[in-house]
Amino acid sequence: MHTTEPIPAQVESLLNAHGVQLPSLHLLLATDMTLTGHYSESWLGVDDKYVYMISPSPSYEQNGRSAGPGASLRFETYPLADIEEVRSVNMMGNGMLVLRTKQTEFVLCRYSNTRAKQLGQFAKIVNKLAKGEALEAEDFEDPRAEVACPKCGQLYPDQNRKVCPKCVDRRSVFLRVLSFVPRYKTQIALILFFMLAGVALNALNPYIQGVILFDEVLAEDGKYHGRLVEMVFVIAGLQLVSLLTSIMHARINAQMTAEVVRDLKVEVYAAMQRLSLGFFTKRQTGSLMTRVNDDAMNLQYFFHDGLPFFIVNCLQIIAIVTVMLRLNWQLALVLLVPAPAIVWFVAKVYPKLWKIFTRRHMKNRALNAVLNDTLTGFRVVKAFGREDAEIDRFEVRNLDVYDVSLAEGRMKAILFPTMSMLMSLGGFVVWALGGAQVLTGALTFGTLMTFINYLGMLYGPLEFMTHIVDWWTHCMNAAQRIFELLDAQSDVPEAANPVRLPAIRGEVEIDNVTFEYEPNKPVLRDINLHIKPGEMIGLVGHSGAGKSTITNLISRLYDVTEGAIRIDGVDVRDASVADLRRQIGMVLQEPYLFQGSIAENIAYAKPDATPEEIILAAMMANAHYFIVNLPDGYDTVIGRRGHNLSGGERQRISIARALLHNPRILILDEATASVDTETERNIQEALERLFEGRTTIAIAHRLSTLRDADRLVVIEKGQIVEVGTHAELVKKRGVYYNLLQKQREALKIGVKIA
Amino acid sequence: MSEQKGLEAYAEIRFLAPEECRFEESPGGLLVLHVDGERYESVAVHRAFPFTYGDDYLSVRDKEGNEIGMIKTLKVFDEQTQTLIRKELERRYFVPTITRIDRIKEEFGYGYWEVQTDRGPRRLTIRGVHESVIPIGEERVLIIDVDGNRYEIPRLSDLDPKSYKLIDQYLV
Ligand SMILES: Nc1ncnc2c1ncn2[C@@H]1O[C@H](COP(=O)(O)OP(=O)(O)OP(=O)(O)O)[C@@H](O)[C@H]1O
Ligand SMILES: [Mg+2]
Repeated sequence: MHTTEPIPAQVESLLNAHGVQLPSLHLLLATDMTLTGHYSESWLGVDDKYVYMISPSPSYEQNGRSAGPGASLRFETYPLADIEEVRSVNMMGNGMLVLRTKQTEFVLCRYSNTRAKQLGQFAKIVNKLAKGEALEAEDFEDPRAEVACPKCGQLYPDQNRKVCPKCVDRRSVFLRVLSFVPRYKTQIALILFFMLAGVALNALNPYIQGVILFDEVLAEDGKYHGRLVEMVFVIAGLQLVSLLTSIMHARINAQMTAEVVRDLKVEVYAAMQRLSLGFFTKRQTGSLMTRVNDDAMNLQYFFHDGLPFFIVNCLQIIAIVTVMLRLNWQLALVLLVPAPAIVWFVAKVYPKLWKIFTRRHMKNRALNAVLNDTLTGFRVVKAFGREDAEIDRFEVRNLDVYDVSLAEGRMKAILFPTMSMLMSLGGFVVWALGGAQVLTGALTFGTLMTFINYLGMLYGPLEFMTHIVDWWTHCMNAAQRIFELLDAQSDVPEAANPVRLPAIRGEVEIDNVTFEYEPNKPVLRDINLHIKPGEMIGLVGHSGAGKSTITNLISRLYDVTEGAIRIDGVDVRDASVADLRRQIGMVLQEPYLFQGSIAENIAYAKPDATPEEIILAAMMANAHYFIVNLPDGYDTVIGRRGHNLSGGERQRISIARALLHNPRILILDEATASVDTETERNIQEALERLFEGRTTIAIAHRLSTLRDADRLVVIEKGQIVEVGTHAELVKKRGVYYNLLQKQREALKIGVKIA
Repeated sequence: MSEQKGLEAYAEIRFLAPEECRFEESPGGLLVLHVDGERYESVAVHRAFPFTYGDDYLSVRDKEGNEIGMIKTLKVFDEQTQTLIRKELERRYFVPTITRIDRIKEEFGYGYWEVQTDRGPRRLTIRGVHESVIPIGEERVLIIDVDGNRYEIPRLSDLDPKSYKLIDQYLV
């Protein structure tokens, strides 16, 4: 029997009482909800004959209590022979299994999203058993296997990020961060050196300006009495050296910081480029951008502020406290009395300040989002005359930022004076007690001055220590996120020993393919299609039917969920990704042009293309004429998304790009949808010449585009419903014929209007 | 020039009026709709504007997901039908109300919450606080956990002080 969780004794004994032994069950699992929508465990099991359901009795549900010990349970059985189908219905935040028999249909159980995968699996297994099909090992693959930590079994908090916060070894993250150090070891060593020198000089200063100046130089009986000029020189010299060290420190620091950030960003960016399309669509582009920018920045703090400051501050605290204790331990102890009060104050108030900082940050981000949004979409704003509304939208966000900034200012206005008040409190105590001691002669005036100065030096490091924890988590988090990106496995991994396909013939075999973008929501089901080398296939069907998805699978932007796709008999999962990409060309439904010149865009996949090649590609795509008409010709720089070109012009450039790529298999996803019929004809003729003998898969809503296809494949709701030539399908009078009829009618209406 | 007409002159929403349709519950707990002499088994009811209009503008769909029609407002239906449809809505939109927050533990940017809801006690895990704890207006807060489950705090001011303090830190 398969189960993924411990079975309560009560459930087991109830099963036994009904003559069901655990080993005879195929599967036993829990849902986390009752039929009335209360959190409570119910258990579902299935053996060769029955589905079993163990749920808390209704009285318990109503009290919203879970089926703990002593709760009375209800036991139900449903014979497999009666079951026609169990389907899982996924809804908002929960789902249900609906069981259908010949007579009736009812809700078997409900589950929260947390259990959706397991219950989906249960439904699948029951359906197989009910149909008398044999179960296979893969039916039982623990759906939690990749979603839970193998060490502790806890679900990963982020399914896209397979990191278990419990088991992640923070030490190892730290060690890995440290592994960056050797790269910058000279700089770090230098920084540390200058920092230490700075600390030593700083620590020396109060001593010289206090004890030595007052007690040895100014005092009558001092060792260096009267040598004031030399003293001034010594003090000034020390200041100068101190200044030099801090300049050096700042310079090296700035240089290293820039280097760390640069290196990290490049590494993260390179790692991102390796990842699959799925990785990007699952995440917001914004959050990925944050990763490249902010996380690298955060990690930089580690090298820049964190580590050296931490070491130096620790040393400084230890050094100062030791010196103070040695000078006069009674006074030193008295001095430390207000310190806890300060630490307390800082711990209490600073979080509030940080919260305001965060809030300001968020509000600023929201403001930027509005800005970004309207500037990117300014065409729409202008087209609908919504300028004033946009100004209002901006004003609202702007006001938010103003409000928090104000709050921040007010808070600081109270906080910082209070802080310095508290700090000088220590000074008052020292003045009072120390002064008394000076009067009685127990303490020299110089020592007192030294004390006061040291005191001032102590609070900075102390304050730093109060947010050390915060800083640490922050850095380790950023580091973790960066490492995870660096380590991320592509969803479409290259096989260990990829089969090289130096020259693809162009045979494509789609073998029983099922595909889901999101679990339990198949977009393609049982697709079978054999495309011969050199064949031209037309994919037609309603919007959202799954046409683009099929092409994504062929070029392996995603991997199939079930079944296989073979090119020249090689499973694309075993083939070399580079070989595939080199020989499959795609013109995407939404052509994307990069910022750069038209020539650069055409030569995107072949940067060393000669001007002749670029022009030829453009000619075949019927783009040459309009490009040369532009004042800057092929050197015209296209702005973001190519907004200064028309839709059809952009499409033709992206066709030229695919042609120059010179692929063995060409995929055209609505490649000519935005060009007029005549231009389309021209492009098609050019393509036909070029693609004589090469495999082409074309998608088009305008059915006339695909008239010459060797075979048309009609897709409906993720399934192939018809295959055949134009003539065959017309004769068949099926789905394709209907589509065709509707388009003809639409055209007729068009003619009438004209 | 023809006079300006609203969109309703060109398209039509099929609103289901109480007198032309009848909802009933099947013995298996599913919703059945009779309309225009047709009988639809296990129909689903979707909210078109879950946040802004709640129980107004409901889309009634058949088993395949095709829209049979819309309900403009539940209020015009009789008590019994309202209860039936509300039950179906409750099932589709499962959003427990958090009544108390017992504990929040944070690790690596993930929050492990232990809460009491109107549906019983629950442990949940959220990530990236700011995408997961979403204030709607001044008082309402929506919480989305890593599995896509939703929870709601309808009125912040109704929370006890301890719970409020725990959630307050996320409401920047
Ligand atoms: N990245 C994605 N994640 C989740 N669902 C997706 C994703 N891409 C597409 N879908 C869904 O998959 C289904 C099929 O999409 P597909 O793009 O293959 O349609 P299509 O046949 O190309 O339609 P069209 O003719 O409009 O381009 C749609 O319901 C769509 O919403
Ligand atoms: Mg498409």
